[in-house]
Amino acid sequence: MAIFAVYVVVNLSLNMEFGYTGIPNFGKVLAVGGGAFVAAAVPGRIFAGMAGIEGDYIRDNIAVVSGVNAWLVDNTGIGFAVFFMTLGLAAAAGAGLGLITSYPVIRLRGDYLAITLLAFGESIRVVGNNFSPLVGGTLGVQVPDPLSFLPGEVRFPVATIGLVAIAACVYVYSERTMRSPLGRMLRAVRDDEVAAGALGKDTIRIRTRVIMVSAALAAIGGALYAFYAGGVIAFAYDRASWTFWPFLMILIGGLANNKGVLVGTLIFVTLRKVIIFHKDSLAPAVPFDVAWLDFLLLGVILLVVLLYRPQGIMVEKPTPTIPHGRGPLRSGARRAFDLLFR
Amino acid sequence: MGYDPIYADAMIFASLLALLSIGLTLTYMTTRVPNFAHASFATLGVYLALVATHLWNTTPYVAVPVAFLASGAAAVGLYVLILKPLIRRGSPQAILMIATLAFDLVLIASINILADFIVRTYHVTSREFTLRSYDAELAGFPMIVLVAPLAIVAIALALHVVLRRTKFGIAMRAATENPDLAGAVGINVKVVYGVSWMLGGGLAGVAGALMSLWFQGDPNLGPLMIPSVFAASIAGGFLSIYGAIAGGLIVGFAEVLGTRFLAGEIGSWLLAYRPLIPLVVIVATLMLAPRGLAGIRWSRAGAALRRLAVPGKGRGR
Repeated sequence: MAIFAVYVVVNLSLNMEFGYTGIPNFGKVLAVGGGAFVAAAVPGRIFAGMAGIEGDYIRDNIAVVSGVNAWLVDNTGIGFAVFFMTLGLAAAAGAGLGLITSYPVIRLRGDYLAITLLAFGESIRVVGNNFSPLVGGTLGVQVPDPLSFLPGEVRFPVATIGLVAIAACVYVYSERTMRSPLGRMLRAVRDDEVAAGALGKDTIRIRTRVIMVSAALAAIGGALYAFYAGGVIAFAYDRASWTFWPFLMILIGGLANNKGVLVGTLIFVTLRKVIIFHKDSLAPAVPFDVAWLDFLLLGVILLVVLLYRPQGIMVEKPTPTIPHGRGPLRSGARRAFDLLFR
Repeated sequence: MGYDPIYADAMIFASLLALLSIGLTLTYMTTRVPNFAHASFATLGVYLALVATHLWNTTPYVAVPVAFLASGAAAVGLYVLILKPLIRRGSPQAILMIATLAFDLVLIASINILADFIVRTYHVTSREFTLRSYDAELAGFPMIVLVAPLAIVAIALALHVVLRRTKFGIAMRAATENPDLAGAVGINVKVVYGVSWMLGGGLAGVAGALMSLWFQGDPNLGPLMIPSVFAASIAGGFLSIYGAIAGGLIVGFAEVLGTRFLAGEIGSWLLAYRPLIPLVVIVATLMLAPRGLAGIRWSRAGAALRRLAVPGKGRGR
């Protein structure tokens, strides 16, 4: 369920980018990894500084982080403050990465854009693996847990509820944005860039901004995953997990349809759980590692979806635009929402 | 041995990259789909070389024609079974790219299954292996050092002759430049495309079979290699065979010798960042000369340089 929430955040960001605006971001892993690396590198050091824990953050990582977690039991408020600050920082880092990586190629056709973003996506792992002050190189680092004050058995349920809540916020934000005039503009850019340009829209700027916003969301997803898993190791941020699976999920669910994203993610996460669950019973029957059967199956599923049901389970529907500005809809809850998300 | 093995490394890597990039360019020219599964066709070649050496007890070179056929068949399968129906339906290019990624996943999984199968059935190392010791020796060098560059020359000449002199080559060039018109004059465009996918995949298979003689073979070579192959093809302009060869050589030498040189100047920690070189090449190409080497009009570039050298003489923008 927690994995579901993380993937929902990442997939919604990809859907905004690819489904609504038509940017084939084959380097999604870059932003996700960037967010996770921020979560790995920043909060631990802040806490250690505040708690006055000695030791090199990377070399004595396990000792420092367990010290930090013990300190966090008594300093819950600071823990949460730094947690949300880290999410913000991760979003900023993600947006920055999105800007840098898209800048050279944003004007180019889809295939060049895709190839370049894919190559950038590969780079995050290389840097993470080799630049050890960041996330401890090949050994990885642990991430302090702002929920350390909870006893062990309720920690994971609470963390999951928190993740789901954040994912729900991102869902509402994404759904609202896509129903706004802005969302309509994004679809216009996707369907006919020239026409959108002729109507006075700066399509390059729009695309750059979408990449930045979407990378920021994906980075939040990455940071959440890092906090949830309690550790970051560079090689976990590979192309399959954070670029290919998200594409698979949004394509199964239906492009440019946020409900479809939820359905696709649910199907994928359930399917993988089932596969992992039955792995052991299948292992003696075949002369190879069952993990590859998983890959094979998912690859074939995606091909079948593309060939026979390219629109996915939930078809993109014409989205009515929510009236803008002061209308009868503008209730108290809406105003609070606008305050938070606009 | 009186020479630094790094030069052999560079020579072989650059040649094989050129070979891969020729194949990628051939398939891109026809269908305009960047094939993300391309490097995994080479991995297939690597494993066929392993099979030839250990199971059939011959030299790895026997695997070269076999790999050509097998990888070619895989490429044709991708084109006929997946891409062609998608193109017929008018799918956007992004969907086609995702389809090749999905095919890549299936291919990688199959190769991994094959690797596991080889280990468990024949008790032969099938991960991180090298067949270097099975190579013959020629004039004091391992044969591959000479074969790899010669293969490039031979294939370049053969392709040149086929594309310029034979009826099929002319049909192929016509079909890539204007498929509708070519179809109207009686060229079977689909067959032509199929053959170029066969050639493209086949050449990748050949590159893979040769690669096993020098570099480590592993089921996951494909994803590791693909940025380099794309960098080489983009540097070459993506639409020119000769550009692809030049791009492959440049990226290959830059990756091996360039990192070595920089590591010597700056520090050996730099060696680990070698995978970033293709990225630098892609970005540099796209920013400076987006049509690649083949797209630069050399005469005009020369004139521009002269204008830069003599300020005030050129015409203003």
